[in-house]
Amino acid sequence: MLLGVDNGMNEQEHIDKLMQELRRGTITIGVLSQLSSPQYGYSLVTILEEKGIRVEPGTLYPLLRRLEKQGLLDSSWDTNEARPRKYYVLSEMGKKVYEQLCEEWESIVKSLDGLIKKGDNKYGDD
Amino acid sequence: MEMIDRYIYAVTQKLPHSQREDIAIELRGLIEDMIEERIGDGKITKKVVEEILLELGSPRKMAQKYRGTKKYVIGPELYDPFLIILKIVLLSTAGALGIVFVIQTVINPVEILDHFIGLIVALVTGIPQAVGWITLVFALVEYYGGVKTKELGLEKTWHPSMLSAIPDQKRRIKRSEPIVAIIFYVIVMVLFAFSSNFFGVYVFNESEFREVVPFLNEETFSQYMPFVLLLLAIFIVKECLKLISGKWTMKLVAYTLIINLLGIIVVSLLITGDAFWNPNFMSELIQAGVVAEGSEGYHIGESIWINSTRITVIILLVGLVWDTIEGLIKARKK
Repeated sequence: MLLGVDNGMNEQEHIDKLMQELRRGTITIGVLSQLSSPQYGYSLVTILEEKGIRVEPGTLYPLLRRLEKQGLLDSSWDTNEARPRKYYVLSEMGKKVYEQLCEEWESIVKSLDGLIKKGDNKYGDD
Repeated sequence: MEMIDRYIYAVTQKLPHSQREDIAIELRGLIEDMIEERIGDGKITKKVVEEILLELGSPRKMAQKYRGTKKYVIGPELYDPFLIILKIVLLSTAGALGIVFVIQTVINPVEILDHFIGLIVALVTGIPQAVGWITLVFALVEYYGGVKTKELGLEKTWHPSMLSAIPDQKRRIKRSEPIVAIIFYVIVMVLFAFSSNFFGVYVFNESEFREVVPFLNEETFSQYMPFVLLLLAIFIVKECLKLISGKWTMKLVAYTLIINLLGIIVVSLLITGDAFWNPNFMSELIQAGVVAEGSEGYHIGESIWINSTRITVIILLVGLVWDTIEGLIKARKK
């Protein structure tokens, strides 16, 4: 522990906290990107993980419900399988929002690249 | 597996009824998917289930994620004033009970042990009551305050032009004013709750206490007491609102007006009646040997007594009226 409560966090804790904030928004884009065809919660966890995005089910399931409530996703129950599964897919509005989000994302990446890769950056060579 | 049922129950318990069933099915599907992924066609063991539930996290946190928003009895905005008022009231309650103990000991020094036990009992029963009432008032402010901001949609339609001016020094309410008022009301409340006899002329005989000649009518006061206590409690609420607001606003003036009107009505009804003041005050003073009947001192005492009861009423009424007018004047200042 360093001084006081505010300074009590070590390097790793700072990184974890900032990464958590950073991930929160990107996960939504990641989820929307995979829902042009219907998926149920756990299949989405697996797909995202294969592509290097780790999402905890405990985060993803509530997120899916929220996006559905906001009208970005449509859902339907499939009761033909061994257990009933709720499939989510992009709604019409969701598609438009996703396209717009992609553009925004591109521009953020471009701008940030411009910032952190400016000139001879002594910290990053990749 | 029973553990899974318990987990799902624990999560859905904390969610609105309308969503419970849906989320329960979804969660069960998720857990079964996770188990299947881990063990394939193997046998389900307690250990695997435990691992998966640990991964999902505590039911409380899971439910929180589903709810999205946090719910408060007393939210972050009211938490600080809540703590301040809690401290003030607790300290002044304890202080007032201390005063009661001292007075009781002065009046009857022999039973000091009984008074002390009474003090402890009063602390043990009184402090939770004070905490309970304050929490109730704040919870109500939180509940109704919260609903209003949502209904009015203040957050969505906000515009910089709506920013209210930083309150003029004259519009501000000094924190010390409501704090002192609350302390005063609490002490008076506690003294009243114990005995109306504490308010009176203390008669000493060669530095030894003899008796109190009470100002108030002991026989009828027990009927009045609930109203007096309730009124004081409402006044404390008024001071709390001032402390929370920190500045005079029209809304605060409205609340003050209502409470003060109520106060004026109650005070007028109670104090102006004959039965409120001790009808035998002067004769009891004579019996106590403070004044002799027919002497000059007696006449002076009598006129002071008659006038002071009237003056008390007038001061109380003027104070309440002024409190409202002052608020109105300050609230209008830009």
